[in-house]
Amino acid sequence: MNDSKPLTGGGLLFKVLEQHGVEHIFGYPGGAIMPIYDALVDSNVQHFLCRHEQGASFSAVGYARASGKIGVCMATSGPGATNLITGLADALADSIPLVAITGQVPTAAMGSDAFQETDIFGLSLACTKHSFQVTDINDLEKVLHQAFAIALEGRQGPVLVDIPKDIQIAAVEQKFTKASSLKNKVKLPLADITKALDLLTHAKRPILYVGGGVGMANAIDEVRSFAETTGLPSVSTLKGLGALNHTSENYLGMLGMHGTKAANLAVHDCDLLIAVGARFDDRVTGKLDQFAPDAKVIHFDIDAAEINKRRIADAPILGDLKENLPLLTMSLNIEDWQTQIQEMKADCAWRYDHPGDGIFAPAVLKEVSDLMPENTCVTTDVGQHQMWAAQHMSFDDPSDWLTSGSMGTMGFGLPAAIGAQISRPHDTVIVVSGDGSIMMNVQELATIKRYQIPVKIILIDNAKLGMVRQWQDLFFDGRLSETDLSDNPDFVMLATAFDIKAKQITQKGEVTAAIKEMLDHDGAYLLQVKIDAQENVWPLVPPNSANNEMMESA
Amino acid sequence: MNNYKLIIMTDDKQVVLERILQVTRYRGFLINGMTAQVNTGNNIATIELLVSSDRPISLLIDQINKLVDIKSVEVDNSASQLCSA
Ligand SMILES: Cc1ncc(C[n+]2csc(CCOP(=O)(O)OP(=O)(O)O)c2C)c(N)n1
Ligand SMILES: [Mg+2]
Repeated sequence: MNDSKPLTGGGLLFKVLEQHGVEHIFGYPGGAIMPIYDALVDSNVQHFLCRHEQGASFSAVGYARASGKIGVCMATSGPGATNLITGLADALADSIPLVAITGQVPTAAMGSDAFQETDIFGLSLACTKHSFQVTDINDLEKVLHQAFAIALEGRQGPVLVDIPKDIQIAAVEQKFTKASSLKNKVKLPLADITKALDLLTHAKRPILYVGGGVGMANAIDEVRSFAETTGLPSVSTLKGLGALNHTSENYLGMLGMHGTKAANLAVHDCDLLIAVGARFDDRVTGKLDQFAPDAKVIHFDIDAAEINKRRIADAPILGDLKENLPLLTMSLNIEDWQTQIQEMKADCAWRYDHPGDGIFAPAVLKEVSDLMPENTCVTTDVGQHQMWAAQHMSFDDPSDWLTSGSMGTMGFGLPAAIGAQISRPHDTVIVVSGDGSIMMNVQELATIKRYQIPVKIILIDNAKLGMVRQWQDLFFDGRLSETDLSDNPDFVMLATAFDIKAKQITQKGEVTAAIKEMLDHDGAYLLQVKIDAQENVWPLVPPNSANNEMMESA
Repeated sequence: MNNYKLIIMTDDKQVVLERILQVTRYRGFLINGMTAQVNTGNNIATIELLVSSDRPISLLIDQINKLVDIKSVEVDNSASQLCSA
């Protein structure tokens, strides 16, 4: 900071960001945030200019998820602020810690329908964990510290701070010399594990059901040692992938709508479900009253509101997983069940033999997963390609697997990968995208070009909004409605226009060499993988069905 | 439909009332009445909320409790009536 200038609200913002260790932020300027962008010039924080505020918010999400740090994004008032909303909603739904800064019209103009005035504070209520509007310069510093603390405490989430232009300009003095933080407001009761211990010792067919909360709680070691010592058969949610050791013989993969047959059958048959940082989401449970119908439930969570929300817990354990999970760790006598599980797993193993010369997307993604370097971070968009990636790729850590889980937001993959790559410059970052999804934030190719971000984009191109087409075929009598994308742009030419090396493949025989070329390339790369438009994702639990009623073909 | 009376103590902060109303509506509770008062001495607001729903009141209590400025949420059992309508 240039100390000869008096400190302003805008300058104070960057001082506080620096105090919280923020090195990188994502944003887009405009009228009502100009004083903040002016202060940016004197700050040590590095700003990445995205090409749409939604891109900035998703890059902040990707940054946070890949690195475990808070993601920061900023935008101007009005349209800039509303463009952030999808990213905030996504972060809220997936519990991702973000701080979003918006410029606002001057306090005197607020409430007058001023140019580019929108009530982003009001709009934020449903899509943030908490939000602030600073109307007194003397509150700014404290509010910013609170925003960081709230984003991180308990169940993490996005916090928005709306700062009117006059507050950004106002002179101020910095009071706190170091980052202050809040104490966790929620006093968590000491976990009562007696009931849980009793349930676990008497269970004949217990299953460990792991969700995204494990990664968020940084409790991967605890969960793995729990799984190993108990020998519990285990399943994962979409967001939990990477938390468990995927090479374990008792691990059955993802459960739910597109889960593995073995995972869904095992959960359906179990007599005890140990839910760890998971919330019985409808995509996991299928028909709720038929989900694990014979099971008692032990539910570990940090959020009291998740306990008994969708499924009554026989033994709720509220609090920090890192502390509570070891209390339940013991060895179990469940050999018969383990044998049954391992047989089921072998019977339901994925098959990659596929007739014809055309490319089979699951086989491509399996091969990418086998060939990608250690610590590769994979992001996805939303659709069939996302489900194939979840089914056929393996991850060693949840921070290596970034997908929009709860919101299922198309357009997530590319900007999230940009954020991930900036937070982890030495790791490979791969986006698995679809021909529909990539167009939702395609402008971020310009961000890749500007900052020379070496992400690898695998575009699974079926010339369709494939997932919706699949549902139209299966559940709407094949009445196709607005899901054809056969007039897509030339994706190789498009990438080339942004100086991104690109290649299209159409035949099975080309796959291995193309993956290697992409992974070996130093800079950004787009690999367009043409696949048959009629391919479906299997298995599939149809809507309103129990998880043991999976369809395995049309 | 069951009727409940909630007594909510909260810091008197920006839009806390809007937050409570938004959560109440979103979580599936109808608002039948409300009073709100601020103790200017300690800046604590007391909000009494009459709500009705088929859903268990614990679902709403847990969600309101998650709002950052909330101090406590209690059901006034004497004023709540559980009836099937
Ligand atoms: C922002 C947004 N709009 C709409 C949808 C609904 N949707 C889910 S999957 C899908 C199709 C995605 O197409 P594509 O990216 O090509 O993936 P594919 O299923 O073909 O692999 C759509 C439209 C969504 N998830 N997100
Ligand atoms: Mg597609």
